[in-house]
Amino acid sequence: MNEVMSPLSPPSPLRAGAAWRSTAALLLKLRSLLALAILVLFFSSMTSSFLTANNLSILAKHVAITALLAVGTSFVILAGGIDLSLGSVAGLSGMIAGYLLVDGMRFAGAPHFLPAWLVILLSLACGGIVGWVNGILVTRFSIPPFIATLGTLYVGRGAALLISNGRTFPDLAGDAARHNTGFPLLGQAYLAGIPLPVWLMAMLAFLAWLLASKTPFGRHVYAVGGNERAALLCGIAVSRVKIWTYIISGFCAALVGLIIAGQLEAAHPATGQSFELNAIAAVVLGGTSLIGGRGSIGGSLVGAFVIGVLADGLVMLGVSEFWQMVIKGVVIILAVGIDQLQNRFQLRLQESR
Amino acid sequence: MPSVEQPTTGTALMRGDIVLESREIVREYPGTRALKGVNFRVYRNKVNVLIGENGAGKSTLMRILAGAETATSGELILEGKPVVFKDTRAASRHGVAMVHQELSILPNLPISDNIFAGCELSRMGVVSDREQAVRSKDALHKLGCEADPGVLAGTLPLGQQQLVEIARSLAHSFRILILDEPTSALSSAECERLFAIIHELKRQGVSIIYISHRLQELLDLGDYFTVLRDGQIAGEGQRCNVDREWIIDRMTGRSTQLDGSSPEAEDAGNDLLRTDALTVKTFGGRLVLDHVSLSARPGHILGIYGLLGSGRTELLETLAGARSADGGEILFRGQKCKFMRVADAMQLGIALVPEDRKRDALIPDRSIRENISLAVVRRFGRYFISRRKESVRVQQLAGELCIKATDLERPVSSLSGGNQQKVVLARSLLCEPSLLLLDEPTRGVDVSAKAEIYQSLRLLASRGLCIVFTSSEIEEIQQLAHRVMVLSRGAVVDSFHVNAASDTRLFSAASGMIPLGSEN
Repeated sequence: MNEVMSPLSPPSPLRAGAAWRSTAALLLKLRSLLALAILVLFFSSMTSSFLTANNLSILAKHVAITALLAVGTSFVILAGGIDLSLGSVAGLSGMIAGYLLVDGMRFAGAPHFLPAWLVILLSLACGGIVGWVNGILVTRFSIPPFIATLGTLYVGRGAALLISNGRTFPDLAGDAARHNTGFPLLGQAYLAGIPLPVWLMAMLAFLAWLLASKTPFGRHVYAVGGNERAALLCGIAVSRVKIWTYIISGFCAALVGLIIAGQLEAAHPATGQSFELNAIAAVVLGGTSLIGGRGSIGGSLVGAFVIGVLADGLVMLGVSEFWQMVIKGVVIILAVGIDQLQNRFQLRLQESR
Repeated sequence: MPSVEQPTTGTALMRGDIVLESREIVREYPGTRALKGVNFRVYRNKVNVLIGENGAGKSTLMRILAGAETATSGELILEGKPVVFKDTRAASRHGVAMVHQELSILPNLPISDNIFAGCELSRMGVVSDREQAVRSKDALHKLGCEADPGVLAGTLPLGQQQLVEIARSLAHSFRILILDEPTSALSSAECERLFAIIHELKRQGVSIIYISHRLQELLDLGDYFTVLRDGQIAGEGQRCNVDREWIIDRMTGRSTQLDGSSPEAEDAGNDLLRTDALTVKTFGGRLVLDHVSLSARPGHILGIYGLLGSGRTELLETLAGARSADGGEILFRGQKCKFMRVADAMQLGIALVPEDRKRDALIPDRSIRENISLAVVRRFGRYFISRRKESVRVQQLAGELCIKATDLERPVSSLSGGNQQKVVLARSLLCEPSLLLLDEPTRGVDVSAKAEIYQSLRLLASRGLCIVFTSSEIEEIQQLAHRVMVLSRGAVVDSFHVNAASDTRLFSAASGMIPLGSEN
């Protein structure tokens, strides 16, 4: 190839074609960000109340839910898996928290109440454990991720219903006499004028970005998703990597369940139904390939924003809920369609050698 | 343009003998020109050899001839008439078909369905399995393959899968058959059979375009030679005017000496690696390795010659910890080892370069840098990777191995085969191994990259690295190894110094039942 050179020789000047190519590639890369900007512009021009502080705060809370799920499950998808149990885990963790706060743990007939922070930790741990089970099913028992997590989806939802026999746990505010107040803060507190869930989203997204792009674990995740056999022959502990991705995903889902329970001050066993689909949609909108190995945390975050802005904006425009679903579906298909175009574009570039 | 030699002597080929011709074919991609006005001629009933280094534009040209791609400008002339191939179906309607280097077998379908995939024989919309089976069997029979057409294609060995692809073109009676590196996955015995088939196809009036990196087989087989370099024809001529130097000179644009051998290694003391009656079975209990005992010392290059299915890959995988042994033992530095995982072997300083880089080594979407550093990325930071340390080390290694890349941040899939192989090699070297295992180190690699890889390996050995490699290329064994071991059906059948490794001794030991002197 004429443009190939040794890495030691000085770089050749960029040619016009190369410059055009890199611009096009950059635009394609930032397409979800562009889409987001267009959506925001569109909605703010259509309704004057869209860009108000009050609305943005509500919007951010909604986005935080989707974003936390999407960021967590990005690891699973990057490693070539899929986690359908997210919504159930969110529901289950809320119910566990509700049970611990309202009914309490029963030893020898008498209920014991745990402080709110311990309740939160235990519920999060349950999410992690479900993720671990998913990982074990996928690695140790070679059950395809789709099936394994479909199974835990049902089991998780069933367990959430069993905890209370289908009832809602009302009033999670706790009781000063039981020393377990404070739980709703998780969903309702503000720090420096910004809702706590948004802080949590920002923090976890940052940590996830570090993990995915700066650590050996992140490299291993991409390697496992990109070519599992190669990863294995490189000495990467493929099973361990996969199990960890499911644990992260379960943990984030549990956190979402707790935030929602905190916001509502109630735990409902049906919480989180079809959340997994929202999360997967956000990840895919962000340019992550469902085959694994390609994508980024930042992309998933932007994808979650697109979904959140779209949903809230349409509500504000008074678009019916039914049409909202249709529009969401079309946007997802469009996004993946553009993704495929980009793939073909890149393939063209590669074939030119 | 470099000297273009017209055929002058011998049984001169006439213009009328040209069955397919490309005129001034140009293919442009954004930023590059892969083909710069190529006039390629395909002679009737001949084996038309097309040679060129990776990236010379061979594959692009062939894809255009087979209708998988369209030219930016220029035209195709078939039997004197201009034709346009909109897609591969159009090309096959005109009798042009291609057997791809990467087999496009549908593993979950029976052989007959594979042969008729895309143009099923059907009556009133219902596929007639019986007729397909009969015609498949017939086509396979012509190729000397007696496999049952009902067998799932994925269960066949690689060599037979390729025969299925060739059978596909036979069953549809194509006139022009493009074979893109057909022997890269075949054992010597299977190659021999393929060559016989090619002669048979010629007799039946098929014109063949043949692409390969193996010079000897090209010289044995070819009738008309065309060399492509950098998107242009760098030379063409009939067999009688062509020899090894002619090809290499035109391919590389310089004189490359591929012949050579590894300088004798000094005796560096004790064995680094020993295996004692190493035995490996498949899940089904079939014996893959049968009491293999070998030894290798630091600074030595041990070449294992074996055909496909001889157990060579399984042997290296077992040594690298990717497979567990069912019997016997592995001694490394005198210590008995039991590897549970690849990481265990790597820890001790054993690194493997797998045979099929695409399947077993590369992460196609990730950058060259990440691919090189993948196995030892923890070394650049336990918790956070230091990009600076990583880049410095990777760049240094890329320089040492002459990896030709514009930018190490580009995806590894953008590299040519030879450079991809060097990336895999670089990854193993980054582990700082004391024992390097290479499975077919130059499969699908062009001549000059091959020479560079040999050079690197010899240098590494002279610095005390112990190298064990497998190959099905006799030339490679003779040039690279100090000691040679022949593996056949999982057992060591012969072992000798490289000086004693004549073509016939290697070949007859490996193939066992093939009579001596069957080749020239």
